[in-house]
This record gives sequence, C-alpha cells and structure tokens, in this order.
Amino acid sequence: MPGEVNEEGMSLLPSKYDLTNAISPNLDRHLIIPLLEFLSHKQIYNEDEVLQAKLDLLNSTNMMDFAMEIFTTLNGEERIPEEMQIKREDLLRKLRDLQEESEPILRVLGDPEVARQIQNSRDPFLLLEDLTEKHGLPRDTPAMLYNFAKFQYECGLYQGSSEYLYYYRFLVSPEDKNYLSSIWGKLASEILMQNWDAALEELIRLKEYIDNLSTFQSPLNALQERTWFIHWSLFVYFNHPKGRDLLVETFLHQPQYLNAIQTTCPHILRYLTTAVIMNKSNRRTVLKDLVRVIQQESYAYKDPITEFIEHLYANFDFDAAQKKLRECREVILHDFFLVALLDDFIENARLMIFETFCRIHECISIKMLAEKLNMSISDAEKWIVNLIRAARLDAKIDSRLGHVVMGAQALSPYQQMIEKTKSLALRSQKLVSDIERKATGGRGGESQPWAQEF
Amino acid sequence: MQETIRQMRNHKKIKDVTNVLKSFEELMPAYNKALPVIQKEDNGVTPRFFLRALAELEDFVNELWELGNEYRKNSMSKNNAKSLATLRQKLKKALKEFEVDLQKFRDTADLEDEEPEQTKAETESESEDEEIEVAAVKEPKAKVKPAKLEDEDSESDYWPSESDSEDSISSEEDETKYINIREKFLKKNTQEEEERKKREKKEKKDKEKEKKRLKQQEEAHEELEGQGDWEVVRGGVPMPIKPKMFDKNAEITVESVLKKLNEIVSARGKKGTNKAEMVDMLQELLEIAEANNLGPGVSVKVRLSLVAAIFDYSTKVSDAMKVEHWDKLLVTVDQLIKMLDKHDDITLNEQITEENEQFGSSPYKIRGCILTVVERLDAEFIKILKDLDCHSNEYVIRLSDENRVIKLIDEVTSYVEKQHEKSADICRAYILKMDHIYYKIDMKALDETTKEPTSLNTMDRLCKFICGKDNTDRLRQRAVLYQIYHLSLHNRWFAARNLMLMSHLQETIQHSDPPTQILYNRTMVQLGMCAFRYGSIKDAHNALLDIQSGGRAKELLAQGLLMTRQMDRTQEQEKLEKQRQVPFHMQINLELLECVYLVSAMLIEIPYMAAHESDARRRMISKSFHHQLKMSERQAVIGPPESMREHVVAAAKAMRNGNWEACRNYLINDKMNTKVWSLFKQGDVRPTLVRKIQEETMRTYLFTFSKVYDSFSVQRLSQMFQLELRDVHSIVSKMIIREELMASLDEPTQSVVMHRTEPSRLQSYSLQLADRLLSLVENNERIPEIKQGGRIPMQQGYRDRPYQRREDGKGGAWPGRGDRERTRRGVYAE
Repeated sequence: MPGEVNEEGMSLLPSKYDLTNAISPNLDRHLIIPLLEFLSHKQIYNEDEVLQAKLDLLNSTNMMDFAMEIFTTLNGEERIPEEMQIKREDLLRKLRDLQEESEPILRVLGDPEVARQIQNSRDPFLLLEDLTEKHGLPRDTPAMLYNFAKFQYECGLYQGSSEYLYYYRFLVSPEDKNYLSSIWGKLASEILMQNWDAALEELIRLKEYIDNLSTFQSPLNALQERTWFIHWSLFVYFNHPKGRDLLVETFLHQPQYLNAIQTTCPHILRYLTTAVIMNKSNRRTVLKDLVRVIQQESYAYKDPITEFIEHLYANFDFDAAQKKLRECREVILHDFFLVALLDDFIENARLMIFETFCRIHECISIKMLAEKLNMSISDAEKWIVNLIRAARLDAKIDSRLGHVVMGAQALSPYQQMIEKTKSLALRSQKLVSDIERKATGGRGGESQPWAQEF
Repeated sequence: MQETIRQMRNHKKIKDVTNVLKSFEELMPAYNKALPVIQKEDNGVTPRFFLRALAELEDFVNELWELGNEYRKNSMSKNNAKSLATLRQKLKKALKEFEVDLQKFRDTADLEDEEPEQTKAETESESEDEEIEVAAVKEPKAKVKPAKLEDEDSESDYWPSESDSEDSISSEEDETKYINIREKFLKKNTQEEEERKKREKKEKKDKEKEKKRLKQQEEAHEELEGQGDWEVVRGGVPMPIKPKMFDKNAEITVESVLKKLNEIVSARGKKGTNKAEMVDMLQELLEIAEANNLGPGVSVKVRLSLVAAIFDYSTKVSDAMKVEHWDKLLVTVDQLIKMLDKHDDITLNEQITEENEQFGSSPYKIRGCILTVVERLDAEFIKILKDLDCHSNEYVIRLSDENRVIKLIDEVTSYVEKQHEKSADICRAYILKMDHIYYKIDMKALDETTKEPTSLNTMDRLCKFICGKDNTDRLRQRAVLYQIYHLSLHNRWFAARNLMLMSHLQETIQHSDPPTQILYNRTMVQLGMCAFRYGSIKDAHNALLDIQSGGRAKELLAQGLLMTRQMDRTQEQEKLEKQRQVPFHMQINLELLECVYLVSAMLIEIPYMAAHESDARRRMISKSFHHQLKMSERQAVIGPPESMREHVVAAAKAMRNGNWEACRNYLINDKMNTKVWSLFKQGDVRPTLVRKIQEETMRTYLFTFSKVYDSFSVQRLSQMFQLELRDVHSIVSKMIIREELMASLDEPTQSVVMHRTEPSRLQSYSLQLADRLLSLVENNERIPEIKQGGRIPMQQGYRDRPYQRREDGKGGAWPGRGDRERTRRGVYAE
C-alpha cells in the first residue's frame, strides 16, 4: 500500500533541514497527512501550498469529506466541484454495498464461540473449511474481508480496517499473496489510530516476515521493503516508550537495515543519531559504530544532529559541537518525529559534551565549561555539583581558581595487572567445576590432575 | 637422438643458439642412456652420426665465437649470446670425452661415402651438411612425419626470429644449401602443411628481398641464385591462376555476382588459396558490383566477405595485421556501417540462414553480424598497437587511428540501438564503447559543479544499461569495473568506493577470467590513487597493498612480463600472457603507483612504529615499506637521495625524528615533482599531502618524546608543526580518547600533561605474562565448547601458550587481511 511521491513547495530557511520531502515518498498517503498537518502547524511553508499538497493527496484516497473540507479552506467560498460530490456519492454507495456483503461474515466472526475457535486454531485452511461448513461462510471470505478492509482504510475508517484485517489474518496462510499487504495495512491502521502497543506488535511481525521472506524476486525488492519498513517504523519507534532502544537495535546493529539506510535513505541517520543520543544505557558502545557510519555517509547526508556527533567524537572540536547543538534545537523543533524529545535531547547532548570533555582533560575552568555547555557560570557549577553528588563524575571543584579538577584516571601498571588477572582464578575455577560436573556425569573424575595445574 | 641432432642442425642454420643449446643438452643424456646399447652392438664404438654432430657443433660454435664480440652484440639477442657462452663451455667439457673418437672421425671424414645409409656419394665436405640432413631425415621416415606436425606450432614461433636472423646470415653461409634442405623438408610434409608453408614463405620472401637489398655484403649473384631457387619451389605448388572476373560481354546481374562471390569465398581455407589475391579479387568484385548498381544488398554482402578475407589474412592469432590491410579494413567497415545505416531495409542477422538470404530486392536479408566485425576490428587494433614499439613515432601515428575506431564503434552502437535488437547486443556494443572511454580523463568532468555533459555521464548511462539488461555476469562485472575506474580517475572517491563495495566484486573476482581480473587490479590501483588524492590514506594503502606487496605489480597489471620467472612457464603460457598485456597508452605509471603506496605506508607505519616501540608483539603493516627501510639502513654510507624510493625512505627517517619540514622537502621537491607528483593530472595532491605529513609527524613526535617530557604546551606544538591550535587540540584529544597517549589536557594552561605510566621492564613482562594467561584461560574455555561431549584432551600444557597468543594477536587485529590475501591469491591464479 505504500504511497507515492508528493510534491513539496519552496524551501525557506527553517525548511533547509526539513525531511518531509525525503520521507514522504516512502510512506503511505494516509501516513503523510499527519506530517503535512504538522507542517502547516509550524508554518514553515506557505500555508496554501501545504493545503494544496494535502488536497492532492486526499484526492487520490477515498476520504472525500476531508478533501472537501480542505477544498473549502483553500478556495474560500467557491463551490465544491461536481465530480467530488459524485465521487463521494459513489463511495458511500460502495461502502454500503460492501458492508451489506460482509455483514453475515462479521456476524459469524463476532460470535464469541467462533472467536474462541479462531484464537485456538493453527491451520488457516482447516479453520476456513470448518467455518464454511458450520456457519455457511462463503469460500471467498478472506478475499472479501481483505477488500473491504482496504476500502475502509482508504476511506479513513481505520478502526474497521484493522478489525477486518485481524480476522483476515487468521483465515489465510502466510503464503497468501495479500498477506504482506495485510500486515502493512494493519500497521498503518494502528499507527493512525495511535495504538502504539498494537503497532509495535505489528511492526515486529512485519519485520520477521520481511526478514524471513526468501521469496522476494530480487535483493532490490527486499531493499525496497526494508526502506518502507524503516520509514514506517519511525512513527512507532518515536512514540512507543521502548521504541528508541529498538530503533538503535534494528537500524544500527542489523546489517541489512543499516545497508538499506546507507544505500537508499541516509537521512534516516538523523533519527538513528537522535535515538543513540537519547539512549542512556549503552551509549558508549553504540557510539563507535554510529560515528563510523556518520563519517562514511557524511558526503551523502549531513544535518546539525549528525554533525554534532561528528564534531564531538571524530574531531573533538567542542566549539563546533556547541554551535551545532544550537542548530539542533531548530531542527528538532521542526521535525515531526522528534519535536517531543527536545528537552531530553538537549540535556543528553550536553552531558555527552561534558563527559567527553572530562575524559580528555584533567583540569577545566568552570567559566569555559559554562560557555561550552551554553549555561551561566553559576548554573554550570550547580550542574557539575549535582553530577558529582550523583557520583556520575569523579572530580572536585577548586572554587578559588574556578576549576574543576578531575580525579586521577591513569591506570598504573600495578592496577592494570590486577585488572587483568582478577578474573582469571574465578574463570578457571568455573571451568574446573564445569569439567568435573561433566566428568562425574560421564566418565568419572579423569580431569582432576589437569585441573590442579592452576 | 637422431631427431635431436636434426633439430639442432636446423637451429644452427638459423643461428638460434638458445635452441641449439637446448638440443645439445637433450642430446648428452640421451647418449649416455644409449651407451650400454652401443657398447653391446657396436663394440663400444661411438656411432658416427653422433660424432659427426659433435664435430659440426664444435665448428659452428667456434665459428660464431671467432666472429668477434661486435658481431655477437649486433646480430644476436641477449639470450642467444648468453646461450652461446654456455654452449661453448658445455661443449668443451663434452668433447674431452670423445676427443679420440672425434679425431678419428675427422680423419675419416673423407670416407663418408661408405656409410650404408648414404644414398648419394659426395665427398665434398662442404656439402656434407646437406647429405647428412637427407640421411637423418630419410632413415626414420615414419618418425619424422608426426614430429613435423608437432613442429607446426613451434614453427610459427620461430618464424619471426628466423627472419630476423636470416638477414644477418653472413655471406659465408651457403644460401643454396639452406634452400635445398627446405625443399627436402617440404616434400616430407603433408599436403596441407606444404601449402601453408608456401604461403608463409611467399610472405617472407618479399620481406627478405627487401632486406637483402639493403645488405651491402650480399653478393648479387647469390641473390639471383636465391631467387631462382625460390622460383623453383613456387612452381611445385598448384597456384590458383588469377581468373578473369567476367567475360567482357557477359551480363552482370545479382546472380552472377553472387555466383562469383561464392566461387571466391569457397576457396577460402582450401589449399593453394592466395589470400592476397582473394582480397584483391573481392575488391574488384565489389567495384564491379558498385559500377553496375546491383543494389545495397549485394555490396553489403561482398563487403562482409571482404572484411572476413582481410581478417583471415594473418593466420596466427598473436600476430598483428599489416598497416595497409588495417587501413583497408577501416575503410571497408566504415563504408559497411554507413551503408547499413542508410538503408533501413537491410536486415543483417546471424539467425538468417544462407538459404534465406535475399539480395536482389528490398527487404534485404543478409547473414552476418556487424557487431562481431567491429569487435574483431577493435581487438585487431589493440594487437597492432601492442606489436609496435611504444616509444616510437609509429605508435603515435597508429594511436591516432583510435578516433576512427571510436567513430566506428559509435556508429555501430547507434545502428544497433536503432535496430532495437536484443539488449544483449546493445550491451556488447556499449562495452566496446566503455572500453575506449574508461581510461581517459575528461578534463571537463574534473570540475564537479560542471553542468555540461561529460564522459562521466556517458559512462554512467552505459553502465546502468548494462547492469540492468545484461544476463552474462562477465559484461556486468566489466561494466562496473570500467565505471569504478572512470569515477576514481575523476576524483569521485565516494561514488567509486560505494560502487566497489556494493558490487561485491571483491568476493567474486577470483572466479572471473584473467582479463577481467587484470581489469580489477587496474581498477583497484586507480581507486587507491583516488583515495590518496582525496586524503584517505588508509584506504589508499589498503587498496594498493594487494597489488604492491608481492613486488609483482607489473605482472598483475599486465604491463610487462617478469623475466625472472620465465623458466616456470611454458611457451603457450607466455604467449597467452603476452596477449593479455595492456597496450602502452592505457598503462598505469608504475613508479607513481609505487610512490603513492610507499608514501601511504609511511604515513601509517611511522607513527605506528613510534607508538609501539616497546611492544613485544608489534606487527608490520607494510612489508615492502619495511623492506625499503631496511635496505637503506644496511648501507654503510647514505648519500643524498636519488631515486623515488630513496626519497621516500629519507622522508620517513625525517618523520621519525619529528622533523616535518625535512620530511616535506624530501617528498616534495623538483625531482619528485617531475618524477611523480606532476603525473597527477587530476589536481594537485601536494597540499593534502603536506597537511598529512604535519599531522602524522606530530603524532610521531608525541609518541616518541612523551617519555622525555612531563608536559607539552599546545601552543608550542602548534608552532612547531604549523598547525592550527584547534587541529592540534583535536589530534591530541583523539589520541587520548583512543588511549594511544597516556595524557590529559590541562585546560587553564593549555597544555598536555603526561601521565607517567610507562611500565618498568619487570612490569611490562608481567603484563605480557598476564596477557598470555588470559588467552590460555580463554583457550581452555573454548576447548569444551569445541569438543562438545567429547573427551577433554589432557595435554593442554603450558608449552603451547606463547604460540597461541601470537596466533590470536595476528587474527584479531586485521580482520580484513585474510580476505584480501585470498583475493590476491585468486588474482594470481591464472
């Protein structure tokens, strides 16, 4: 169901980093609508143009009421064109027809008894067979369900669509030619209804399906599916509480997806970078990979967010990083997916600068730090004190000189030695006990003399 | 044995000393083998024929030797001269054994006619050679025939050298004798071969005549005599008499012309066909056809045959076409294509059978394939270029024909496109086109902002088409490689790199055919140089490592054969390799390549060496760079650098001492500019290079002297290395983060404070011990996993540890290396 290109208007300054143009070709028409609404809300483009774009978009869907509404806003008091009215009538009629057609099916499927049976069934064919026999469902029930769901979706009735697709999936096997589309459709419906849990579930299902499907005609096809997946998943990942970790996991650590990003849509790096910055737990390990990817792709895509990381971790240019951080603010404010994360992002980014700074310095003046962190001196001092108190920073403040002095971090050879050998005894012991357990279970205590070597 | 003697004699005639030596070396063991038999049958008397051979050989060698050094130098190839010396030595040794017998033989030489196998009685020692020849040949008559057939192959090899040495035959040599022997040879040959020989001889004859005329010492009567003899030989073969085309008043129609054409063409490949005449006749026929307005169908057909005849002219695959034929070929093909282009109603197709051909009226249907013709023409063009001396004027003149060839290719491409033929054909045409574009720099395309269409656009279009439509892997591979080559040539580093990575060629290239592998090697070199220009030293090093590390760059790029290895390959192999050589104008400058590689290696290796000075298990990043360093260290006195390599080594030494200015001056000076840097037509690399030198020298400096200093001032570092404060800061920070440098920055004073963490000797050893213990434990843990459920080996002792450690270190650090190694091996395996 993924949609087509839509044209975007002129580019003003804040729109320099706007990705709607790059993202929308990979989204379904219905999914673009929220993006456009966001754009008109932010008013970085000409209002009329956005509305026109929206109208064009809606014209190719079946959401005629919505389209007419926009038409009125756009063209003032002008009469709504005839064909729109006609189309609307047609659609309503068709909707009614389809509804009538599918009524009996829904009645059967709505039966709690049947619902239980559906839940428990394994084989879609047997189930269908059974239902046809017992309840007199027509043979082409799945196809009807699918078509109706699709129609409803196009009309903007996502709830219904989602429901029908839910049943549909129980009645057909994964080999069905529409199965993949049904997942896409369900995902879109859930996203548009903002059921993030359900959407995440769908997303995982979709991913499994894409990864397992070896029947794609070509790698190109798989690449296309993945590109769509990456774009659609942004909705879910940035709205679900666990989403950002999953995003990093999927985009950065699964080579197929990383490849897809690098080849077809490097702009996704913005979201990946943001997710990494927001990810507190294992940022350090992830960063290395991320910096590599950003550097590799820097010729193809860069925006303040990726440049921020590049300056901070590849060039160690703190001034430039600071400057980019300020730009990031603008970018995030105008990004549909990231706008909610602004404060979190700034705080994390600041912490990152500070962390890196501490790692390579042993003495920093607070004044300079405040400058780098974009804070007042007293704020900066307070911030550092808090950090020290929360035991996240091994340092002391020398308030007479206004310096922060880092705790000794150099590892003496003596310590290194201890670090290295600390685990040896434990590991060997574990090994010995493992072997012993195995040996007594199998052959008897043969491994004893060897174990004593340690 | 007699066979060998006979061969030896042949070679002697043409003064091919190398082969004489070979035969002689074969002869001696053969004799020793036969010794018991001889002793039994002949009562230990050395057989006469053998003695005779020895005696002759001795004479021959002495004669040559006495001719003096100058003669040897002038008329003999180096190989021959060398062989002569060897032969002389060996012969002397061998002769000692037979001294007595030989003396006896010489005494009784006059009594030759008593020999039972002798048919003619001739006592003149002058004609001895000939007689023996007859004897040797006649006796084992049955044997000779197959041997001759075998000779066929090698003979084609001998011919060129033969004709070379032939003009150097001194006047003492008896011309008649030579010819007589040839005549006798010919009689023994099978019919087919005979016919072939004649042909070759005739070709040679012209050449020879010319050369002879040039020779002053050649006596006139001899020449006449020679010619007379040639005449005789010629008469022995039935020559096709040049037929008159048509009777004067015969009506010339399509049918009659076609009949004639068939007549001529059917003679093709038959014995006694004179190729030159065939070409002439076809030309004439063409003129007649044109004059009588027989329509395009006929003239296309005749032209096709004419082209085929010209291609047939040279029988050997490896030989190049002669210039006059080449010109004729170009013109004919050009006319052919123009004609096809003009007349839409001509269908030229290979699927059309001979019976279905239609010439008389539109639509014409003709069997044939213009694309194949042009492909062949292109190959022939390359062959001609390779045959010429690449520094001569002729080469340049011939090279200017490339424009015509390209025009032909363009025309044929548009023709094929217009015909909407199978996409496979279009792919073939495109590949031909790419083949002529890819190695040339389009100056317009170097400017990345240009809007004009450049060769890059063309290449892109062609490559995309081929990648989309081609079904054979080979064309696609080649197209992608051409494209990468072209991109790297024009400084499109990222595009080239991405294409290389996405095509996954590295994994599959070892299964391709050698020419594609050569193209791959060439592409990798270009890619590496592009990376170097871009400033991505590491990538440059990695790309060039495979080609440069074995010291076989010349061979891998097909830009010349390695002489030292000549012994391990057979003649066929060598011939094949010669065919694969890249013509001179497409070659990559090897010195430039080596310099780029060495400089990249230097920029990586020197800081690395400084950082790991005390490391017990230091690895070499670039072997050949270390080799250069070692070579210079071994020298007692080191003068100012002369060659490119010496310059790089001197620069590396300056870098080691942290003297970036000296390093720069060694690498960038007038000498190096003319030798290397100005060869980069795509833009100046020097500023990037200087910058890299500054950075890496500073790193080296920090590594080397961190022990001595307690702190560095960032300010001072920036002054010393002429780098901006910001850059110094960034480099130092990077080193600290990577834990290469045990230090931290002190912000208020703007200085780098070193942590004294260099372990003492005891400490560093104990650290190493700890490392090894760790790996031992790891290994032990792995064993149960490997031997799942199996018996655990008892002997996992201490003794193994150091080796295991070393293995681990090697495997872990350079994950890519194994792969590359494999790739390279694949490239070698030809």
